[in-house]
Amino acid sequence: MSAEESVKDIVVKIVHCDKNVLTPESTFKELNADSLDIVQILVALEDNFGIEIPEEDAQKFTNFGDVVTYVDRKVAEKK
Amino acid sequence: MEIPRVVVTGLGAVTPIGLNIDELWSGLIAGKSGIRLISRFDTTNFPIKIAAEIASDFDPTKYMDPKMIDRTMRAVHLAMPALKEAMSSARLDMNKEKKERVGVVSSTMVETGYLSRGPELLARLGPKRADPLFITKSGPSTLAMQIGMITGANGPNTYVDSLCASGSDAMGAALNFMRLGYADVMIVSGSDASLEPVTIAGMNIIGALSREPDPQKACRPFDLNRSGFVYGEGAAILILESESHAKKRRAKILAEIAGAGHSFDAYSETAPSAETQALAMSMALKVAGVSPDDIDYINAHGTATRLNDTTETKAIKIALGEKAYKVPISSNKSMLGHIISAAGAIETIASIMTINHSLIPPTINYETPDPECDLDYVPNVARKTEVKTCLKNSFGMGGQNCCLVIKKFEG
Repeated sequence: MSAEESVKDIVVKIVHCDKNVLTPESTFKELNADSLDIVQILVALEDNFGIEIPEEDAQKFTNFGDVVTYVDRKVAEKK
Repeated sequence: MEIPRVVVTGLGAVTPIGLNIDELWSGLIAGKSGIRLISRFDTTNFPIKIAAEIASDFDPTKYMDPKMIDRTMRAVHLAMPALKEAMSSARLDMNKEKKERVGVVSSTMVETGYLSRGPELLARLGPKRADPLFITKSGPSTLAMQIGMITGANGPNTYVDSLCASGSDAMGAALNFMRLGYADVMIVSGSDASLEPVTIAGMNIIGALSREPDPQKACRPFDLNRSGFVYGEGAAILILESESHAKKRRAKILAEIAGAGHSFDAYSETAPSAETQALAMSMALKVAGVSPDDIDYINAHGTATRLNDTTETKAIKIALGEKAYKVPISSNKSMLGHIISAAGAIETIASIMTINHSLIPPTINYETPDPECDLDYVPNVARKTEVKTCLKNSFGMGGQNCCLVIKKFEG
C-alpha cells in the first residue's frame, strides 16, 4: 500500500492547504511552503514512517509525487 | 535637531475584562473584576486557583491564518486583535507610510509550557528530532518580529524585558527611538500569556500571589487586608507618532507621551526600594518638564502585595512631597490582575482613556485603610475629574523601575 494518504495528511496539516489541491505534480512553492514548512514535513515523515531522510535526498524533491515515491521506497527498504 | 513631541494616535487591547478598548474602558469605570477561577489548567494540587484569564471563547482563528497560529506563541495570538484595533483606530495605512520610518518595540514573557518541550524532545529523541519551530517560535523577540512582518515596518524592531515594568519600559524605549529621530511611527506592544502552571507555582512559593479564595475579592491594592497579586494575561498595542507626522496625516491625537524615567534598585531580587522608585518618578517629571503640582492622577503599579503598596506609597511621598496627599491614585490591577510584561502598556492605555474621559477608574476591593497606605486611592467608585497630566508607575520585581508622564494633548 502506498504511503500517499499519510504523506498527504502530514503535508496538509503543516502547510494548511486543501487536501484536494494536492497532486503528484504539486510543488512546495505552489503550496506556499517555505523552508520551515519543509523541515517540519521532513521531521514528521521521519517520525511517522520510522525512516531517515538525509538532507541531500530531501534537496532532490521537486514535487509532492517525488516525496511519496521516496517514502514508499524507504518504507519498502526497511521491510 | 529639534526633539519631536511624541503623541499616541491608536489603541488596541485584549484583556480579562474585555477584548477591545470599549469593553476594557467600560469595565474599568464600572469596577468590573476580570479575576476568575483558573480554567486553562487543572489547579487540583495548586494552592492558587484564581487568575485574570482572557475569556475562554477567545479564538485566534478569527484574526490569524492557521499556519501563523502554529508558528507563534499565545502572546502573539492575544496581540493580533489588539494590533488590528490599534492600526484601525489610528487610521494608519502602511501603504502610505515610509516603511523604514515605522518601528516596533515589544514586551513579553517566555511561555514555559512550550519552551520546556525543547529539552524534553532532545533528551527523548536526540538532536536530529529537534522541533523545527523551537527557535523561531519560543523567543521573546518573536512578538516584535511578527508585528513587523504583518505591518511591513522596516524601522527599529526590538523588545525590552524588565519583568513587571516591561510594558512601560517598551513605551520609554519607543519614545527614545522617536526623540532621537529613528522613526516617525512606533508600534508598542505588550503581550503576556505566561499564566502557566510553572509560573503560578513559582510566584506562589515566593509568597507574591493572593491566596484569597473569592476571585472577585482577591486583589485589594492598598487595603490593610491585601495578600498579594493575582496573575493575569492580556495584550495592548499603542501607536506612537511624532506630532508633526500625526498632524500631517490629520490623525486624531489621543495624548502626548511627555517623558519617561528609569532607575534600578540595586538592592534585592524581590523587595522594592522607595528611594529608587521615587527617582524614576522624579526623572519622568523632569524629562516631561512638569512639576509635582502638575500631576492630576497617578496610575499606580499597585500590585496588592504587602511590600509593593507601602513602598509605592512611600515613593510617591518622596517624589511628590505634599502633593502626594492631594493627588488621586488608583490601581487597575484590582480589576485586571497583574498582566506582568504587558501591565505597563495596558495601564498606559487606561491612563490615556482617563485623560480623554475625565474619569478615574477606581481601586476596587478597598475596604480597610492601612495606616502605612494613607493616600487617596479612589476607592471602589470611579471619580469624575479633569486629568491633564498623569504619572504612570511600573516597578519590575528585582528593582527595575519605569515611570511615564502622559499628558492631554494641547497644541
